Amino acid sequence: MNCKDFEIMVHEIVSGRAADKTKQLEGLEHAGHCLWCALRLDEESKLTESLQAFARTLNVQRAPARVEEALVQAFRERSGQAAAPLLGLAGKRLWRRLSWGLAFAATVAATWIVIVHALHPHRSSSAPQPQVARNAPPASPESSPGKRALGSAPGQIAGQVNAGEVTTDFIPLRTCDDSECMEEAMLVRVALPADALLSFGLPINNDWVAGQSVEADVVIASDGIPSAIRFVN
Amino acid sequence: MAELTEIRDEQLLKMMQGGDEGAFTTLYRRRQGGIYRFVLEMSGSPALAEDVTQEVFMALIRDNRGYDPSRGSLLAYLLGMARHYALRLLKRDRTYVSIEEGSRDDGKLAPHSSEDPYWAISRQQSIQAVQQAVLSLPEHYREAVVLCDLNEMSYEDAASVVGCSVGTVRSRLHRGRALLIQKLAGGKKAEAGSKAIDPSRCLA
Repeated sequence: MNCKDFEIMVHEIVSGRAADKTKQLEGLEHAGHCLWCALRLDEESKLTESLQAFARTLNVQRAPARVEEALVQAFRERSGQAAAPLLGLAGKRLWRRLSWGLAFAATVAATWIVIVHALHPHRSSSAPQPQVARNAPPASPESSPGKRALGSAPGQIAGQVNAGEVTTDFIPLRTCDDSECMEEAMLVRVALPADALLSFGLPINNDWVAGQSVEADVVIASDGIPSAIRFVN
Repeated sequence: MAELTEIRDEQLLKMMQGGDEGAFTTLYRRRQGGIYRFVLEMSGSPALAEDVTQEVFMALIRDNRGYDPSRGSLLAYLLGMARHYALRLLKRDRTYVSIEEGSRDDGKLAPHSSEDPYWAISRQQSIQAVQQAVLSLPEHYREAVVLCDLNEMSYEDAASVVGCSVGTVRSRLHRGRALLIQKLAGGKKAEAGSKAIDPSRCLA
């Protein structure tokens, strides 16, 4: 080994980092014969001792406890946030779906009730029982004194109207081209939920409350199918 | 916790990903000292070392999936992050302070074996001189000295931290040590480094 080779690996000889232990021994042997390299080896040894002494003074150094406290707190918050969004998102989605589902179900149910009541009042067991007023074949509105008919249904069918009652025009519930279907028609007085008015495009009074009913006259054709309806105030 | 202390870093990291606070605490306590000291040795600033240590572990909490075991140990990965943060902060604020009193008073040093006038300074003065010499090294040489000599890391691990080849670390360490000898000699032996390439020196 010459001085150049020695110089390249002198710090490894001192620190014992030399990968090739044979070369380390050769370096030490070289320093035994070379004054300059012996001095270099001494310098490096002293430097290593000084650095080790410096490192020992720092061995006790640690980050303050407040750092660990802050980090643990952050870890807890992070762990909590990782789970919370899943629950929150699922909850929001479930609530949104339930809301839409409930609204849709309520709409369907209300529509169904209105239609059932309007078209088949006698078939619905849960619906309000119609206050039947089986009348004779309806006479013309003008035939009853004291009444105030607002109009006439197709086929000029009109039921008897009590004094002081105000009725709407008959609203057709089906198309009946065959005039004979109205010949044996009956007029039936029924009570419907007040919001049934809405399904026919009629307004509800401002003082309407839930569960309030409204009376209506339904024309039942000879084939048993409701053909027209009018609402009675 | 007794069992956790026997688990390897990589396994603790996986447990952390599952929200295991004990695993995080164990990993932190095991590795924070090395990271804190590395930054302290690099910067001389306990405040900076504290900030960087916290930032490194905060980054691990935020996203602990960036570590690739095939590229080195977890410690090397954490030190690499610490180096990145420290260099960024040092560039932003060059007016960092030297190592504070805490590290000056608690050193239990072995008596210096030599009575050479150059080295026979008081222990306290010697330590301060070494600190100042290390801190005054150019960045590349400083981190090689800090990692390999002060923290006794292998060339491979140091290369992983710094992000360069083993040969580069080796040559930087060699040059850094030569500069340290010059600085500690106070200019009296400024020729120490150049002596290495003086062919007339070779007697063998």
